[in-house]
Amino acid sequence: MAASLYAADPPDAMREVEIEGLTLLYHRRSGLTHFLAPPAPQILAALAGGPAGAEAIAARIGEAFEIESEDPVAAIGARLAELEAAGLVWRT
Amino acid sequence: MSDRSDGADRDKGALPSRRVVLALGAAAASTVVTIRPALAQTAGSVLNCEIPVPAPQAGAGQFIAADGSLVPAGTAGAYPPLARPLKGEEVKAMLNGGRPPAGVDGEAAQAYANYIRRLQAGMSGFTCYASLQMPR
Repeated sequence: MAASLYAADPPDAMREVEIEGLTLLYHRRSGLTHFLAPPAPQILAALAGGPAGAEAIAARIGEAFEIESEDPVAAIGARLAELEAAGLVWRT
Repeated sequence: MSDRSDGADRDKGALPSRRVVLALGAAAASTVVTIRPALAQTAGSVLNCEIPVPAPQAGAGQFIAADGSLVPAGTAGAYPPLARPLKGEEVKAMLNGGRPPAGVDGEAAQAYANYIRRLQAGMSGFTCYASLQMPR
């Protein structure tokens, strides 16, 4: 499977508030609010550095976090699909 | 390095470990819940809604003073009613960025913007204005 590249709006297009480990994210362009659990906010933060595929996103997240997962790329791929369905990321 | 930095530690004021553990979870676990308020559902059409300035029931033909109040036609320093209702998109640009709608000069646009800010429930254009305010 060819790795898709995903992009997200820049951080200033969103307003984030952390609540008890969850992130309440308001997406200005759509006017929608989302509740995100980790690692979704970290994926969006990683995409602030430009479009990337699941593997590159895992690498970016790995710079700041100790990733705990048997298959980081698959897990991030699943999260990307969710974020895509919510309109927060899209394929480039 | 295997320490998990959880909320309880942070509440106690402990410094987070330099390398915070991030569990990616199972592929099937859901991490995104989207809230769709009724007004936000119309986000796509909000920019096409219209606001008459002034609302017909508020006084067709009345002029709009700089502070947005309605005054008798011909009042000095006030601006005439707009010949056409403003589109949500124009109103948004005007309220957020101060960009006047096409064909409207800056000072008049300010008066019209003030009028729109004073809209109340039940007046033409209020729902449109409220919808535009939702995202802020």
